[in-house]
Amino acid sequence: METTALSANAKEIGLRINGEAVRESVPVRMHAADFLRHRLGLTGTHVGCEQGVCGMCTILVDGQAVKSCLLLAVQLDGADLWTVESLATGDELNELQQAFKRHHALQCGFCTPGFLMLATSLKKRGEPLSRAEIREEISGVLCRCTGYEGILRALEEYLQAPGEKETAGAGVAR
Amino acid sequence: MNRVVENLEARRDGEAEGLDRADAPPFRHRLIGAPIPRKEDDRLLRGDGRFTDDVEFAHQLEMAVGRCPFPHARIRSIDISQARALAGVKHILIGPEVRRASGPLTVLRPVPGAPQLPYYALAQERALHEGQPVVSVVATSRAVAEDAIELVDIDYEPLPHLSDALDALAEGSPVLHPDVLPSNLLASNKDRSGDPEGRMAEADTVIEGRFRINRVTALPMEARAIVAVWRPGARELTVHASTQVPHLVRKQLAECLRIDEGCIRVIASDVGGGFGQKLGICPEDILACLHAMALRRPVKWIEDRLEYFRASTHGREAIHDFRIGARADGQILAMTNIYRTDLGAWNSSFGSAQLSSVVFTGPYKVADGSVERQVVLTNKTPIGAYRGYGQPEVNFALEVLIDRLARRLRYDPLEFRARNMLRPEDFPWKTPSGAVYDSGDYLRTLRMAAEAVGYQAHRASPKRRKDGRLVGIGLSSFVERTGYASARFLANRGSKFGAHESVTLRANRSGGIDLYTGVSTFGQGNETAFAQLCAGILGVEYDAIHVHAGDTGASPLNTGAFASRTLIAAAGALREAAQSLRDKTIRIGAWALDAAARDVEIAGTVLRLRGDPGRSMALSEIFTRAILGQGIPAGETPGLEATAHFEPPAAAFSFGTAAAVVSVDPETGEFSVERFVMVHDCGTVVNPALVEGQVRGALVQGLGAALGEELRYDKETGQLVSGSMLDYLAPTAADVPPIELLHTEVPSPVTTLGIRGVGEVGTIPPGAAVANALCDALAAYGVEISELPITPESVWRAIAASSACSSGA
Ligand code: FES
Ligand code: FES
Repeated sequence: METTALSANAKEIGLRINGEAVRESVPVRMHAADFLRHRLGLTGTHVGCEQGVCGMCTILVDGQAVKSCLLLAVQLDGADLWTVESLATGDELNELQQAFKRHHALQCGFCTPGFLMLATSLKKRGEPLSRAEIREEISGVLCRCTGYEGILRALEEYLQAPGEKETAGAGVAR
Repeated sequence: MNRVVENLEARRDGEAEGLDRADAPPFRHRLIGAPIPRKEDDRLLRGDGRFTDDVEFAHQLEMAVGRCPFPHARIRSIDISQARALAGVKHILIGPEVRRASGPLTVLRPVPGAPQLPYYALAQERALHEGQPVVSVVATSRAVAEDAIELVDIDYEPLPHLSDALDALAEGSPVLHPDVLPSNLLASNKDRSGDPEGRMAEADTVIEGRFRINRVTALPMEARAIVAVWRPGARELTVHASTQVPHLVRKQLAECLRIDEGCIRVIASDVGGGFGQKLGICPEDILACLHAMALRRPVKWIEDRLEYFRASTHGREAIHDFRIGARADGQILAMTNIYRTDLGAWNSSFGSAQLSSVVFTGPYKVADGSVERQVVLTNKTPIGAYRGYGQPEVNFALEVLIDRLARRLRYDPLEFRARNMLRPEDFPWKTPSGAVYDSGDYLRTLRMAAEAVGYQAHRASPKRRKDGRLVGIGLSSFVERTGYASARFLANRGSKFGAHESVTLRANRSGGIDLYTGVSTFGQGNETAFAQLCAGILGVEYDAIHVHAGDTGASPLNTGAFASRTLIAAAGALREAAQSLRDKTIRIGAWALDAAARDVEIAGTVLRLRGDPGRSMALSEIFTRAILGQGIPAGETPGLEATAHFEPPAAAFSFGTAAAVVSVDPETGEFSVERFVMVHDCGTVVNPALVEGQVRGALVQGLGAALGEELRYDKETGQLVSGSMLDYLAPTAADVPPIELLHTEVPSPVTTLGIRGVGEVGTIPPGAAVANALCDALAAYGVEISELPITPESVWRAIAASSACSSGA
């Protein structure tokens, strides 16, 4: 049947993910978030809407913050991807994660990977942002628990802090 | 801490067998009240949380659900032959099989007096709301299961539908459940006390208003989710679910699936938000279990966001007809309220909001009043619990009407509130609905909010700014019932759960404590607060406490996290269990050190002789001795663990006042909230960071519901027209106004440590505070606001309506 054929329609892709090379055959209709979560076991990237509205699935693709539910896995062919799993080094949380912890910027934590990856891309731009600008910049990621205050405080501190040490996730700054 | 708590402490400590007051561990005061970083954070920050969709099994299958596209339809036939033929499809369920294999969904918090509705996991002859499950398919992937749903051929006959509660009550309207009920009034109940009719007749002024509160949704970022695994040989059904109440889910699954509760284990590891919505089971939970049991393979269902809007229980939606009578001197004499809650088509696990009745007189000293609740059925998605559970609705009606009445009597709204508010000496205060407010200083929160927001200066100065915008200030005072009075109270109302919490503490051989709780973790920070209390009471290190939450296979039977009750009830259980563990540790340790029990103390990782810290023994050594039963005094049994259950003797009432400053363009109705101040009292604060997080989070949800969120049904078609995240406008970081929080701390005399609940209170005052601020700004136009959400369009319409009135007059 046609539908069967559709789900069987697959393509092989190659990409780098958190610094590691990966090669997989994926159904053409599988979206990137599902690929990360269910194929690669990188479950830190969450799915909240599959419509590009909630931002739970935000990752870095070639240095840009992208909503991975809006990409198909096959579009990742040749890309350089970073997910929340790349941020901490061993037992140590990176500066951003520590700022989140200090400022009580998470409650259920479901939105947290999205904010962390978005913040990582903002940091990469290297411009200090005012609180109002941060509000605008992060309005593509929703949080239903915190009322955003802790997140704003954490980001303010992180984005204004001058040149802290590099961590694994900062590898995206290349 | 004030006197009330000290007395309570002294009494409890006195009861703790032979340990005198000086034995109180030194760490306690350092930990309670400290903003300790959360235990939960590390895993969540690394993306290492374990949410339900992160759980995966070999040979796992996935479920999709086909849903009725009409608000009301007869199901003439269902043809699944094509779907069944699709490669990868493993199992399909339709209505009759579900009815054979399972019972109707049971209700944990029934509406008193309401009959049980025959709510099966799949629609039987008729589907009663858009989104009601009609067929479900399990296949090798979700994509294939969805393809198969497309191939199911269902012949529907659309039937007349109802989307408005007043229409549903009208004579001659179609009846939703004719076999069970003669009309769409599911139930009604009434509370009254004193002589409200007589006092109304005495009043110089009686004011009344009808208020409509919108239907909204909790919108946790993680939608519902379940993975069911059945091992027939072991007769063991393991369910991973995104739920607030694992033990209650277990009970309901046992009832509906007609299997022994002992066969079921429910695990909720990390939960991505709940807000009351994830209380009890839903049809899809039954379906996933039925499939898993039939197939003997793991079945996963992850709700997608489109089905979430149509199928997960909604919240709020009510119409309140409120009346207040007062004397010319500003004294309120009586209040009456008749309200209708629109329940949707079926009763959900958690019924519909009852708390509107409980707190309908708010923080005011009104002895004569009556409140009547009517629960109405319509062809919409069932209503469930949602943060606040009736209290935001009634607060909006009451507090807006209070302002109107104050204006009518030519009183300043602040002074009018102050005049009628309960004073500390009035407590305990029994309200006309029979609730007993425990204690508080309500007036102080009103004064503090007014001062923080610059109320007096605003009243004195002109309200029009240079840019043409009008500025207004609005107040809203509130009380919130937190926790439950008692199991007996709940039983009288038909609730299928108790009021207790429980905890098991188990010492381990590394010198740590394993803490087991049935409360699941969905953002409240319980793991932190529990560990904080436990470490404080025992005198051990915070890091030595390992919290294992939300697994019915490991935790003692409990009630669960809702009604802002967790810490109120759990603190008592923690305290008892920790004291018993501490006593045994001290007995064994003192014996080993050849000292008297009263001369030793637990200090971090050791037990030591008071005054001679050189003589000490590592807790790991004492715990190991106790666990093995080797090297312990004669008469002590091996093992070192304690389980305690605790039921708070009464509900505690949180309280406070919010103030909003808005500016509005009188030409267009466009407005913005420029400041929002809230003064709040939740009694003794265990962790101020957690409290602030709860209050802010709830406030932003409350502002969202007041100013934009709405599940709107088209009256003609009965369709949900705001059924996606693109149409349902939850606040983003850019939408949140500046919020200032202030706290007072009057410990409750009825709970352990004086704790009052804090989880929901922020949802309560935003609607009225903003409405009152807008009416203040637009006073010259005589604008009245009676509906939520308040949008620029609704404000513009209100301006137009009032100008039309005044020009017509
Ligand atoms: S899941 Fe991708 S934006 Fe919501
Ligand atoms: S912390 Fe729960 S959604 Fe943000």
